Amino acid sequence: MLAVLDAGSYYHHHAIHGAPYRHLFDRVIYTPDLDRAALEGVSVLLVADRNNPVLLRRHADLILGHWRRGGTLVVLGENEAESWVPGVRWSPRPTNFWWWLEPGAKPEHQYPRPEHEFFRHVPPEDTVWHYHGVLQPPPGAEALITVPPDPEGRDQGGALLYEDRASEAGRLLIATLDPFYHHGSRFMPSTTRFLDGFLPWMNRLARQEAVAEG
Amino acid sequence: MLTYGHAAETGAALRRFAAPGRDVVPRDQYALDEEPLEHHAALVIGMHADQRHLAARAGRLAGYLAQGGTIAASGHLAYPFLPDVSGFQPLPTGHLDDLRIHREAAHPIWAGVSEQDLTFRRGVAGFYGRGWHIPPPRARVLHSVGREHRPLDIMWRHGKGRVLLHGGNDLWSFGAGDIARNLFDWLLAGPEVL
Repeated sequence: MLAVLDAGSYYHHHAIHGAPYRHLFDRVIYTPDLDRAALEGVSVLLVADRNNPVLLRRHADLILGHWRRGGTLVVLGENEAESWVPGVRWSPRPTNFWWWLEPGAKPEHQYPRPEHEFFRHVPPEDTVWHYHGVLQPPPGAEALITVPPDPEGRDQGGALLYEDRASEAGRLLIATLDPFYHHGSRFMPSTTRFLDGFLPWMNRLARQEAVAEG
Repeated sequence: MLTYGHAAETGAALRRFAAPGRDVVPRDQYALDEEPLEHHAALVIGMHADQRHLAARAGRLAGYLAQGGTIAASGHLAYPFLPDVSGFQPLPTGHLDDLRIHREAAHPIWAGVSEQDLTFRRGVAGFYGRGWHIPPPRARVLHSVGREHRPLDIMWRHGKGRVLLHGGNDLWSFGAGDIARNLFDWLLAGPEVL
C-alpha cells in the first residue's frame, strides 16, 4: 500500500488529488492526522516535499518506525529531514533558478548508478531542475544523483537523491528535490515528468513489497 | 502573519519593515484557534499554508473581516478559506501571451512597477502568476493574466474589512520595485483604504 503525507497546501492538493496521480495513492494521510492507525498496512510511505517540518519532527518516531520495521520511507525535499531523520546531513546552497539561461549551460547532475531501478522509471533528464542543497550520504548508502562541489566552497558536493538500505531494516530514499511543489504550482514541466515516472514506480513498489510481506 | 513550520523564513520580506507599533508577529498556523485576531490590523497568509486547516476556520476568518480586519493571501485557493471568491482556475499554458500580466487598475502597492516587470524575470515569463480566481461581485481587479485578462490580483471588501488575494507565489517575495514595503504600508493603512 502506498501512502502519502498531504500537508493541506494548494500544491499538495493539485499534485495528490489532481487527476493524473490520485489513483496511484492507496491512502492519503493529512499530516496533522497522522497516527499509528493511519500507517496500518502501509508498505511505502511517501513524505511529499514541503511538508510542515514542525509536524514531521513531532511525528518522527511514527514515520521512522515504518523504516525501522522494514518498510520503505521516501522523504522528498524541503522537509528539514536533517532535523528528524537520523544520519541525514544536509548543506544548503543558494538556489540558482537561472542556470539554464547561462550560455552553454549544462546541468551539473551526475548519475553514479545508472543501472538502478529508479532510472528505469525516471530518466536522468527528468531529474534536472534547480536544487536547494546537497545531502551527504552515510556509510553504506548509495548516491543516485550527485552534483560536484559548490564553486564557492560551501560544500564538497553531494547527493540530490540517495538510497539507504544499510542504516535500518527498511529502505530510505531521500532527496533534496521538490517536485510536488513545482508540479502542484503548475510550473516547471520537468517536475511533472519526474512524477509521471516516480509515482507509478512507488505504486508498483508498494504492491511488490506488500506481496513480499504477505 | 501565519507560519507553517518555516518560521524564520516566513514573511522575512515583510518583517524587514517592522517598527515599534508596526510589528509583524509570526504565529504558527496551528495556534490560530488561540489567537485573538481582533488584536491585529491584518492577517498575512502565505502560499505554503495548510489551506485545509484554514478552510475549517473560514467562518472565523470571515467574521474577522466583517469586523474590519484585513487579510492578504498568496497562492492558489484549493480549499475555500476566503469568503466570496472562487477556487483556483488554471490557465492554458504554452504560449507567452497566456502568461502576460496586464494592469487593470493602478494601485500604490505596485507603484513604479510595470507590467513588463511583473511578466518577466530575467526574460522568463510565468513567475508572477499562472492562474486565476473568479472575483466576488464589485471586487477590484488590479492585475490580470493572459489573453483573456483573467483576474490575478484581486481586492475586495467583506463587511468592514478588506481582502487582497494574489493568485501566485508570495507577493511580498516578488522582487520588483517596492512591492513588499508598499504592501506593508497598505496592511496598516486602515480598513477603509482599498
